[in-house]
Amino acid sequence: MTDVVIAAYRRSPFHLAHKGALTRLRPDEMTAQVVRALVAEAGIDPATVEDLVLGCAFPEGEQGLNAAKLIAFIAGLPESVAGATVNRFCGSSMQAVHQAAGAIKMGAGDAFLCAGVESMTRVPMMGFNPMPHPGLAKDFPQAYVSMGETAENVARRHQLTRAEQEAFAVRSQQKAAAAQREGRLEAEIVPVEAAGKRVAEDGCIRAETTAETLAGLKPAFRQDGTVTAGTSSPLTDGAVALLVCSADYAKAHGLTPLAKLRSVAVDGCAPEVMGMGPVGASRKALARAGIAARDLDVVELNEAFASQALACMRELGIDETRMNLDGGAIALGHPLGATGARITGKAAQLLQRQGGRYALATQCIGGGQGIATVLEAV
Amino acid sequence: MSLTTGAPMVETELRAASVPAAQAKPAASPIRKVGVIGAGVMGAGIAAQVANAGVPVVLLDIVPGGAAKATERMLKTDPAPFMQKAAARLVTPGDIEGGLPLLADCDWIVEAIVERPDAKRDLYAKLEAVRKPGSVVSSNTSTIPLSALTQGLGEVFAADFLITHFFNPPRYMRLLEVVQGPATRAEALAAITDFGDRVLGKTVIPCKDRPGFIANRIGGMWMQSAINRAFDLGLTVEEADAVMGRPMGVPKTGVFGLLDLVGIDLMPHVAASMKATLPETDAYVLGLRDNALITRMIAEGRTGRKGKGGFYTREKGAGGESLKRALDLTTGDYRASDKPQLESLALRDLRALAEHPDRGGRYARAVLLDTLAYAAALVPEIADSVADVDAAMRLGYNWKYGPFELIDRVGAAWLARALAEDGRPVPPLLAQVAEGSFYRVQDGALEYFGTDGGYHAVPRPAGVLLLADIKRRAKPLARNGSASLWDLGDGVACLEFHSKMNALDPGTVEMIGKAIAMGRKGGFKALVIHNEGEQFSVGANIGLALFAANIAAWGEIEGLIEQGQKAMRSLRDAPFPVVGAPSGMALGGGCEILLHCDAVQAHAESYIGLVEVGVGLIPGWGGCTTMLRRWAENPRAPKGPMPPVAKAFEMISTAQVAKSAFEAKEMLLLRPTDGITFNRDRLLADAKARALSLVEGYAPPEVKPLRLPGASGRAALAMAVQQQAALGRATPHDVVVCDHLAETLTGGRKDHTEETTEAELHALERRSFMALLKTPATLARVEHMLETGRPLRN
Repeated sequence: MTDVVIAAYRRSPFHLAHKGALTRLRPDEMTAQVVRALVAEAGIDPATVEDLVLGCAFPEGEQGLNAAKLIAFIAGLPESVAGATVNRFCGSSMQAVHQAAGAIKMGAGDAFLCAGVESMTRVPMMGFNPMPHPGLAKDFPQAYVSMGETAENVARRHQLTRAEQEAFAVRSQQKAAAAQREGRLEAEIVPVEAAGKRVAEDGCIRAETTAETLAGLKPAFRQDGTVTAGTSSPLTDGAVALLVCSADYAKAHGLTPLAKLRSVAVDGCAPEVMGMGPVGASRKALARAGIAARDLDVVELNEAFASQALACMRELGIDETRMNLDGGAIALGHPLGATGARITGKAAQLLQRQGGRYALATQCIGGGQGIATVLEAV
Repeated sequence: MSLTTGAPMVETELRAASVPAAQAKPAASPIRKVGVIGAGVMGAGIAAQVANAGVPVVLLDIVPGGAAKATERMLKTDPAPFMQKAAARLVTPGDIEGGLPLLADCDWIVEAIVERPDAKRDLYAKLEAVRKPGSVVSSNTSTIPLSALTQGLGEVFAADFLITHFFNPPRYMRLLEVVQGPATRAEALAAITDFGDRVLGKTVIPCKDRPGFIANRIGGMWMQSAINRAFDLGLTVEEADAVMGRPMGVPKTGVFGLLDLVGIDLMPHVAASMKATLPETDAYVLGLRDNALITRMIAEGRTGRKGKGGFYTREKGAGGESLKRALDLTTGDYRASDKPQLESLALRDLRALAEHPDRGGRYARAVLLDTLAYAAALVPEIADSVADVDAAMRLGYNWKYGPFELIDRVGAAWLARALAEDGRPVPPLLAQVAEGSFYRVQDGALEYFGTDGGYHAVPRPAGVLLLADIKRRAKPLARNGSASLWDLGDGVACLEFHSKMNALDPGTVEMIGKAIAMGRKGGFKALVIHNEGEQFSVGANIGLALFAANIAAWGEIEGLIEQGQKAMRSLRDAPFPVVGAPSGMALGGGCEILLHCDAVQAHAESYIGLVEVGVGLIPGWGGCTTMLRRWAENPRAPKGPMPPVAKAFEMISTAQVAKSAFEAKEMLLLRPTDGITFNRDRLLADAKARALSLVEGYAPPEVKPLRLPGASGRAALAMAVQQQAALGRATPHDVVVCDHLAETLTGGRKDHTEETTEAELHALERRSFMALLKTPATLARVEHMLETGRPLRN
């Protein structure tokens, strides 16, 4: 049976919500610009694409009305390309990849555009009309626990000091800043047109971050807490697109795949420590791939917060020398629905760049779950 | 979880916002663009006020980039020079070097650079090359004679030039002293006077070209006397400030506190410039002396609040608490600050105080004689009328009474006798008024004593309507201890509050009822709610509520809430238009009254907000209901049941207060169509005109029911509050108050598939209000507020 491969990966620059360069750019338009560039560069006939699967954590407002199909129109894709918007919060666009992979494996299509988007400026986290189930909120409040609170819970349970979290955040910023400086992000970024201006570079990275500057910040979620804005991923605007297809399709269309999918998994966990979600999901995926954590050459573990990233690394036995090589979400930003596709594409790209064999992309998901993808070099 | 909906706040269009006020204006000002040169505190502040009024302004500074920095800094200054952040966009910063061409299309150019005649003249010469014909140039100088400024600059410049002297801070101080030269064009003076008055909201006082003009000349004398006499008579700084404060009607900083505020190092500069320009025989010059202690303080950097302490300072106590310390004027050391204990301070009557034999009385007498005799001797030298002098001191120094009003309070004859007793000359004007007074009311009109020996009506510019003038010549249509109803003419009535701080009580509610009943019977065709107090209204009288709660008169309290709600509805539903015209604070119930008016004509300096949570309560007179409706009807708010709830909750739960009428528009406390008046003296006339404009075809507004999210929304708000509590921003009782507020705003047991009516929401407001009033923590907040004036964070 044919393999599933990641044939191309592109993303918009990531910018801070509310203050960055993308605040005036509609999320559907942003995604369409990235999709258009990806298709043009791959040089494929878009009529061969089965479906555009869009991950989005708050699919309403400008991200609503099944934005996937609307993005296909904006991007000028033929009518034959279908569109589905999927929601698994922060795991949405990794879920899009998994769905495409499943479809390819069962012969339900050869090529899929797997995109992800979040304009956290234009559609607020929690949505415009947050209306939790009052009974659940009362009897099981952790179902709706705030993300910051979960980061504090993880820090406490795993006895992570504020200094440890800050040192991790500084390293993430340094890695991202070096990658940006040395032009290592250019291959993945599609310049976008926002309010009449061309935006070609990431805007979240703070190269000047030091342990001293972070030590001066106030706790962001608990008065007596250890998590600050500096050790959390920022609210971000951004979009990502991947071309996920069968190995046969890639070969037939002259594409050079970045990596092939080896296994995938999702796994639920306690919502109050949702940041630990990657542990169970990664273990499942690694087992399904028949490998161990030590076999991984590249790991993209989403940095929702420094505390959960550190705790997951420890639990999984992953060291930082092979993780988030070009920086993580603390530095780059975390546009919720777009992140899963970014780290999957990035892991594939890095696997190729580093010349390794196995890569893992994994992330935590609000509400209590994790998602993981194991990639293998082609 | 953030409840911010992410939708852009309603951006007030600066131009559009000033339209309703403009409707009441006779004609647009010919001044459409202004230039300000010099971005120091005064220049930048003047530019900000021009921008506040919606007029574009170029701000230039000698330091490269200085004007941009000053503009940036003003966005962070408190009290804010800008009335809304968006106003800063109307300021175009630039450098004097190379930036003068930016002034080419300015109709008025204000110079506020260093106080050196040669530097100013150099700049004026350069201006002549760029400014457009017919533009006006003015200097904000406080010390240089006009004749010295126009020297050698030619006839055209002299005709276009005058002095416009603002007071610091320009947004908040209402005085604008204007000096014309012999060559100044009448139209130039008229254009600036009109712009200063109607557009910038200042009271423009014409002054003669004499050093210090009016306010600083007399104010300087008062300060000199108040300092010298305190040293001579052995008063402590607290005693001196207490005598100067309430009895004389000077702001409570008194003299030493004021010096700390403005900077003690300013004193020698003022003295030097006055000495250089005044004759040697002037009483101010004669009174100048070297004060060793003050010289030492300046040398040591003890220049007041901006320096290392002044006459007062604050030190950390043993427990980390801040302790107020005061300077001992004899030793020059600090000691614990005392509340002054002088028998004379208990006296209410100013003359009795000045006749009291203790040192407080002797001090009051000495300073009054110095200051008032000086002022009396300066008319007509510095101004043509005593009324102008009094207005300048009230508005430029925030005195409650001008010097001639003070003379009337002690008696002109008493003052003349006291001066004679001391062997001092009696100024001719004082001798002339003899046993009479400087002011009188004749046929209901206020008149002042002129230099010609006759009385003249205190002039009011066209378009100024003062309730005080109406009250002098008429009897109220109705009156009780808290409020009155007056006839403004043309079929418009005015509801005036006059309780302490204009707190609202059963008397106010009764008078609202009476006004509505009278209007319904055809007694008038429109109603304006306005008063000339410092504050429009600080809200419901919580002292009464506390008293009633202490005797568990729950039924009575709930009844009062219900009557209040009924009164609010009756304002809105009356068959005639009701226009609110606030100035100063409109808080709590005062805000709720405005929320139920058909239109509001607000003074730009209106501070509006629903602050009930500060005392552990929620708005109970329809404030919650109206804010929900305002946001629900706002076309720019996102759709669905939650955004209006979240917006209202955010504002009410944090007791947010708008710091200007413009901010009130951003917060929807005022509507986009509500008018803003810059000059307080024109507020009532503008409001009356607004009311009359609504009369024809008037129909009360339709009140539509709302769709509210019920328990789901309440759960969402509870989560947001829990997050604030985790951060220590919400106290335990805040959580309780917020839950009641959330229950009310989400419609209680309602669901968004059904409609929630105003009656149901008013019932929810009452229920939450009563439930909270019965909690000990709320009562503790109320008590604390009454005792300290500050909210208790329990």
